[in-house]
Amino acid sequence: MKTPCVIITLFLYVIIYSMTAFAFEYESDRVAMSLDGYLEGNGIYALKGRTPDEDPSYTLGLGCKSTLGSWGAFKLALQGVYDGKVFAAHNDRLFNEFDKVYQDKNPYINVDEAYIDIYTEKMDLRLGIQKFAWGRLDEINPTDNMNTEDFTEGTMRKENERKIGAPSIKANIYTDLANVEIGWIPRYVPYRLPTPEERWFPPVLKAPSVIPTNTSIGDIPVTAIYKDIDLPAFTIGNSEIGVRISGYIGGWDLSLSYFSGYDPMPVTASPTELIVELENLLPLKANVMTQVYVEPRIHRFQVFGFDFSTTYGPLTIRGEWAYFDGKYYVRKTEDILREEMTMEKQQAIMTEFLREFLASGGTKTRQTFYFEPQMELQKDSMKYGIGIDYIHGDTTVSLQCIQECILDYDKAKSVHFNKEGLDTTFTLDIRRFFIQNTLEIDLAGAYNIEFQDILVKPLLTYSFTDNIHGTLGAILLDGKYDDSLIGQFKDNDEIFAKIRYSF
Amino acid sequence: MRFKYLIVSIAICFMASMALSHPCFSGELSAYQIMKKSEALTDQAKDSKAEMTITLINKKGKERQRKLLAYMKNYDNGEDKTLIIFISPADVKGTSFLAWSAPGKEDKQWLYLPALQRVRQISSSGKGESFMGTEFSFYDMGSHHIDDNTYTLLKEEEVEGHMCYVIEAMPKDMKYYSKVISWIRKDNFIPIKVDFYDKKGKYLKQAISTKIENIKGINTPTHIKMHNVQNNRTTIIEFANILYDTGLNDDIFTQRYMQRGK
Repeated sequence: MKTPCVIITLFLYVIIYSMTAFAFEYESDRVAMSLDGYLEGNGIYALKGRTPDEDPSYTLGLGCKSTLGSWGAFKLALQGVYDGKVFAAHNDRLFNEFDKVYQDKNPYINVDEAYIDIYTEKMDLRLGIQKFAWGRLDEINPTDNMNTEDFTEGTMRKENERKIGAPSIKANIYTDLANVEIGWIPRYVPYRLPTPEERWFPPVLKAPSVIPTNTSIGDIPVTAIYKDIDLPAFTIGNSEIGVRISGYIGGWDLSLSYFSGYDPMPVTASPTELIVELENLLPLKANVMTQVYVEPRIHRFQVFGFDFSTTYGPLTIRGEWAYFDGKYYVRKTEDILREEMTMEKQQAIMTEFLREFLASGGTKTRQTFYFEPQMELQKDSMKYGIGIDYIHGDTTVSLQCIQECILDYDKAKSVHFNKEGLDTTFTLDIRRFFIQNTLEIDLAGAYNIEFQDILVKPLLTYSFTDNIHGTLGAILLDGKYDDSLIGQFKDNDEIFAKIRYSF
Repeated sequence: MRFKYLIVSIAICFMASMALSHPCFSGELSAYQIMKKSEALTDQAKDSKAEMTITLINKKGKERQRKLLAYMKNYDNGEDKTLIIFISPADVKGTSFLAWSAPGKEDKQWLYLPALQRVRQISSSGKGESFMGTEFSFYDMGSHHIDDNTYTLLKEEEVEGHMCYVIEAMPKDMKYYSKVISWIRKDNFIPIKVDFYDKKGKYLKQAISTKIENIKGINTPTHIKMHNVQNNRTTIIEFANILYDTGLNDDIFTQRYMQRGK
């Protein structure tokens, strides 16, 4: 959004279109059904001009919920989106796919959730596209790995809104001792990324524009090709399963969890073609260029988790701990280049080029060499955190500390978002309601110790009526490094405005 | 001792339960006897279910409405459990609040927010705070134990044409209120007015029950108006479709049901 008048446009848009919106409710002795939804418009104003433009986006959300006596229920939640971030849509499909990483459609329909519930005395069964919610922390849940996330809007949306519903089966078995939740996802649903041209595409996943050689060859230009994901075969062995056992013991909500499936976080590989083309024979001179294929890769891992929540005086205390067995991390580009661009390797390539050139009788003047740098690194790790909430009047304060620890960290093979085995983030959220809950002011922030990353997100939400809410906010990002989790987005400071009509 | 029917009527009946354990004699009846009779009118149901409409009125007179479903169940061991589910407006639909109360123990409370899809345990020490923007606090919405207070029968006074006993309750720890004064009708022992004083002793708010219905033999306030004199805001709670003793299942008062909603 480039001018303030766009906010007014958005407001008028919502008002005009809300006239046509309706809600529907039906209730009889056995069946109850409701149809509701919202219309939302949002726009941003980029505070730094170095990032791609973004037009206002509009979303029409529709929800249908039905209860069938005491034995079942049905829910459908759809979103029709005009995505202002996507300028040149490459994909003309209407529905968001469950087998693609890049969101390159505009407009599109997203099936957020669509499931049926079957209730029995001791078990609830949920079949369909659904979201799981494990863990007790806010926004960052180490034990919650069942659903992947939509990263197309960075941190604009809340954690549950970022989650991508997965076609799956969930059974909740209730006993006097504990609640056992079992989730089965027959086929992994990949995370969603914006296209590389957009402002929220993670820079650390981008290929460098040149590869320095520190030799007479000079900098090698890079052409990056972003490929979509190759999903594993649709087999039982490639399905995902999670089990969570929860109970309430002596004032403590406790859970133990286990997950076996694919890591929901983005990891990429970069198979590379190095093209050597003879320019002059005497003196020998060759053009060298590279073509890097950035390919999303997924890896199975196991997660053993524990979480708790309790109260202590005026405080609510929440915590989570997870052990990742077989997690993969993305290595830092400079380390990989250092390994791949050694003098010996460069000489070996040129020697091989000349050998082939001579063997062909001087006809093979262009040759391609294939590499697959070791972009990913497997390391077991732990991630844990604790959060404290304090409520006073209409004010809520939440403080969290979350740390990731890579076991057996190898300094020679550093990875993104972790410094010498540690990554520690503090988050703070101060929220206050005013005027009978019609005005909400929320100040959220995060600080990363190792990378000195800072995120500040002030929000002001006003309820014009029970159905119309307007939000004005900002995201301010900074960091000492360009390749840290927050620091990579430090050019993405923005002010945003959102208006939603619910019906 | 605690209330045996809809938790929100606590605002009116607050005094009725508190006065029970501390006799304080008037000319004819002790405070204990008065409150015992009052409590007997309201203490007849083992469980209850009702639809509630909450109207929030700001100081300019602008109104907003919330609709809820409320369930409550009392147990023979003195425990009680409460579940409140928001039905409207759309932005809070599906939000639910669960409270377990047991004699001599801190209340346990949970909040389920559909936007998070998570049930969160909340500290009961936040009970003095506003319940979802209303002039009722979480404490008002919960149940109370009479041993936490001391009582005095102040006088007899006419209110709305009814002679009333005026009883003062002094909470021992003054955690939420410094005192609460209620007016109990002499003819039927129903509390019709309650004044609340904040922790500093300043007059805070007044609850008035303007409509009392006899449902299944139980005198039930079905229209409660709470006016906060300090911020000049008002909340009106109206009950409809009140059902007593339907044999509510224990499963309703669990995190499982919170997430399932209506």
